[in-house]
Amino acid sequence: MSAAAAVAPATASTTPITGAVVRDLSYAEAIREAMAIALERDPRVVLMGEDIGVYGGAFQVTGDLVHRFGPDRVMDTPISELGGAGVAVGAALTGLRPIFEFQFSDFATLAMEQIVNQAAKLRFMLGGAVSVPVVMRFPAGSGTGAAAQHSQSLEAWFGHVPGLKVVQPATPHDAKGLLLAAVHDPDPVMIFEHKLLYKTKGPVPEGHYTVPIGEAAVCRPGRDVTVVASAVMVPRALDAATQLAADGIDAEVIDLRTIRPLDRETLIASVAKTTRLVCVYEGVKTLGVGAEVSALIAESEAFDYLDAPIVRVGGAEVPIPYSPELEKAAVPQTADIAAAVRRVVRGAV
Amino acid sequence: MQPVAMANRPFAIRHYDADTLRNALRRMLLIRRFEEAAEDSYMRGLVHGTMHLSIGQEASAVGACLPLDDTDMITSTHRGHGHCIAKGADVARMFAEFFGKETGYCRGRGGSMHIADVSKGNLGANGIVGGGLPIAVGAALTAKRLGTGAVVVCFFGDGANNEGAFHESLNMAAIWKLPVLFVCENNHYGMSMAMDRASAVAAVADRAAAYAMPGVRVDGNDLSAVAEACHDAVARARVGDGPSLIECVTYRWRGHSKSDRNRYRTKEEIETWVARDPVRRFAALLMDHGLLNATDFDVLERSVADEISAGVAFAKSSPNPDPVLLTRDVYTDLAA
Amino acid sequence: MPKVDMDMATGRITSWSVAEGTRVKAGDPLFVIETDKAAMDVDSPADGVVHHIHAEAGTDVPIGQPVAWIYVDGETVGPPPNPSPSGRGWPRERPGERGAAGAPSEQHTSLNTLTPPPLPEAEGLAAPADRPRATPHARRLARERGVDLRLILGSGPRGRIARADVEAYQTPAVTAAPEMAGPLVLHRSGGGPGTPVLLLHGFAADSHVWARVVPLLPCGHAVIKLDLPGHGRSPARSVGSFRDLARLVVAAFDRAGFDRVHVVGHSLGGGLALALADVRARRLASLTLIAPAGLGPEMDGDALFGLARASRAESLAPWLRRLVADPGLVTDGFVHAAMLARADPSLRTAQQALADCLFADGVQCFDLQAALQRVAVPTKLLWGRADRVFPWRQALHAPGRVALHLLDDIGHVPHLEAPDIVAALIADLATLDQARADTKRAA
Repeated sequence: MSAAAAVAPATASTTPITGAVVRDLSYAEAIREAMAIALERDPRVVLMGEDIGVYGGAFQVTGDLVHRFGPDRVMDTPISELGGAGVAVGAALTGLRPIFEFQFSDFATLAMEQIVNQAAKLRFMLGGAVSVPVVMRFPAGSGTGAAAQHSQSLEAWFGHVPGLKVVQPATPHDAKGLLLAAVHDPDPVMIFEHKLLYKTKGPVPEGHYTVPIGEAAVCRPGRDVTVVASAVMVPRALDAATQLAADGIDAEVIDLRTIRPLDRETLIASVAKTTRLVCVYEGVKTLGVGAEVSALIAESEAFDYLDAPIVRVGGAEVPIPYSPELEKAAVPQTADIAAAVRRVVRGAV
Repeated sequence: MQPVAMANRPFAIRHYDADTLRNALRRMLLIRRFEEAAEDSYMRGLVHGTMHLSIGQEASAVGACLPLDDTDMITSTHRGHGHCIAKGADVARMFAEFFGKETGYCRGRGGSMHIADVSKGNLGANGIVGGGLPIAVGAALTAKRLGTGAVVVCFFGDGANNEGAFHESLNMAAIWKLPVLFVCENNHYGMSMAMDRASAVAAVADRAAAYAMPGVRVDGNDLSAVAEACHDAVARARVGDGPSLIECVTYRWRGHSKSDRNRYRTKEEIETWVARDPVRRFAALLMDHGLLNATDFDVLERSVADEISAGVAFAKSSPNPDPVLLTRDVYTDLAA
Repeated sequence: MPKVDMDMATGRITSWSVAEGTRVKAGDPLFVIETDKAAMDVDSPADGVVHHIHAEAGTDVPIGQPVAWIYVDGETVGPPPNPSPSGRGWPRERPGERGAAGAPSEQHTSLNTLTPPPLPEAEGLAAPADRPRATPHARRLARERGVDLRLILGSGPRGRIARADVEAYQTPAVTAAPEMAGPLVLHRSGGGPGTPVLLLHGFAADSHVWARVVPLLPCGHAVIKLDLPGHGRSPARSVGSFRDLARLVVAAFDRAGFDRVHVVGHSLGGGLALALADVRARRLASLTLIAPAGLGPEMDGDALFGLARASRAESLAPWLRRLVADPGLVTDGFVHAAMLARADPSLRTAQQALADCLFADGVQCFDLQAALQRVAVPTKLLWGRADRVFPWRQALHAPGRVALHLLDDIGHVPHLEAPDIVAALIADLATLDQARADTKRAA
């Protein structure tokens, strides 16, 4: 995880306050700071979710916010994911700016109706007469030993739904900037926060800034191959890139940051330059985010620059297992990424 | 005709002035004629897809909206034409929506199942049974948090009372004392499954006890009874006493949708309910109380007929949406 | 297990000088082999780390079977590879050294094990003949440069052409237009201060056959490819004997005006190179003979006549596949390209006439063994042990000062099948020649 701190914030696409003090914060602290700023700046903002009040949230992300902003603005909801998500949707529809926290992204399965049928579609179905500026936060991903119902990476499900925006910050800097961007966004934004990242630290400017939704970051420029990753796969891809550099392979690592809408321009420009593409994602490989990225490239003008088959390194076709070695085997690790890149660059696929 | 003693008069007569009542009757009639015309257009192939008609349920739609003003909100159902008209929508733009035209309320993007005039506080019909319940609670949360004084009426059918969303929504509305009325239009069937086969309780209103809110069951074909129950509940909501559950017992004359072959109910049963026609009953009530005569009713009918035919003509002559703009309003265009 | 002795079928390692995980440099002793004649050190062919030592001291190991693996730095150490046969076994030794020492030597050489093993051929769709397997990037590059992809042999899995293959094809960036040199056509490319390299192709081929080797040759040497009469772009000539043919080549050689040149010849071109060396010894810097003709009567007449006769890809393919050890190398695209080059019926007629003359009755009707005995320039003789056209044992007629390189699992066309080895051996001769020139100048 230490590598996450090494992910340089992509200055080109962020708008920090000039001269803002930059501290090292954890990913969870950065999110909390973003929520505090949103609550301070806009009385319409309310936080909702299970145990986000005095308990501080299942992953201590809301922390002490209830003491600073009171229970009317940091609202504990009953264990009612469908209802809770729907209340957030209805509140957003009528003028509030709710930030709804799921305890685990897996529990979104209980709320899919409200997210997919209502939040995503209301604006369109009503001919543009309404908007649903709701933000939903999903602690996601494996690696904590929480097994099959608390470890999934379901972002691709949401990425499949027109009307939703889906972001997956990999660094504390982006976690804060994307959350603030999400709060200002007039449309529903789903934020997938990888649980293994919560404790990782990185530079975060003080005060208000946003990271634009829909912009990927080139977090390591390279010549030989484009490695597209998101969330916790970003530090892993960067670690792999460091190993590969010792073999003379110069990998460009792109942090998607947003998976809907995808940043076509950045992806196409990178692959046209490097001529090779490896997509890394924790979600199940079949029909996953990397599948979409590879299809995007195959359909794009970058196609004519491809000099090797596109390779996806995705999650195994299995529910996330409990036992630590099995759990590791089910999702891409640094060595898997490095091996795949080597095969692609050396013409072994 | 001997005037009935004031205290014995129905609530509506006591509470609303003649214009309001005549206007309510006109809306009921407008709903009836609108749906008949919609059905006729469907038969002529002018309407794409399907539709769910609420003919026979006009009293609950109009009665529940009677205590509301334009700042109050409703959430509606797949059988939502009546709610939409009751909340003040223009039938011409509704026809246009049915015909898939750019001038429709949803610019042809929603159709019958998503029809709404948002400017009148209608947050939308909903294609998902129970889909509007949590949204209504959310809207009520906004009203409470921002102190707008608005009340939300959440329409749903008997089918929805077995959905998880129903229970979660009632619970949250109750614990947070939100200004919302859960108005169940119990038309006895969730598609083909009868309420008494589908629900463990005899009356949806009985569910209120589980969420510590008032539960009232009224004759849903009696506009006055509906209006009275809703009026009381709105009053409670406005002063911060929280939600109520009102069950309007009614009946849809038509099938569930256009594909329904009516295999689960008898002709006799339907005829029994047709005899309790809420529009005729309310017209009769107004006549009984000297607020309407036969001539007035004919004038009303003619004006409604004119409005319907003008609406159909408007819809027919309206432009189709431009496929170039297919993806408009999937997201908010920040450049616009 | 390298073959260090002529009649050796297996070898016995008496002791290892390294252990699992030992880092070695090329030339470090790896192990000692015992033969019935002597014990000898086997040196590391490359830099790297030793893994997967299969052969224990004291056991007999068949020739060509891997006894251990050397991983280059950074390479992921996988599970032990299957040690079993046909293994494109041992990394090649550094050729030239012993050959240069003048001792008769037979160096076992095989494909470089340091590259990952090729994927199985089984999977994947067969590329249509007129549309070779190529990456989009290669296709775009070929489009831009006006290169016909069918003429390029891909280096990727299942013959896939990648960007580098197209670039390499174009590497002779200064490829001049074909020129007439007396009776024949030659193609010049590249240039520089180095001694030029003259390439003579074999029967029924043309100068395209060198495409994979040329990019691997050291920089600074002009490359001249000669088209034999009735081959490639050279006009057919009336040829009544091998001697007639050799005269045409010598005439072209003289007309081209070489001062000194490294001559490389394959098959029939090898025989012609040998003939050239016999009469123009002082102009030759070195001689590389690849499965040359003329070192014995035996041959696969069906294959050569089949090649000459073939009028369509379908009838050409089986004979082309017979030329190589791994028929997968001859992709449909390759066959198509080869057929394209033989589309002219008059060319095929000329080649059939030539075959009737040189290989009458399926016999090599000319004998160059005496010329081989007389050869005075530094010479290497390369032969694939899986050659089905000319038996590799014909190589054993070589005199002591000719270095012998027998390549395992390689057929009749090593420059197609193992271009890196062929290029490296030519490069060794060029290096040797340069070193000698430097010494002479210093003296």
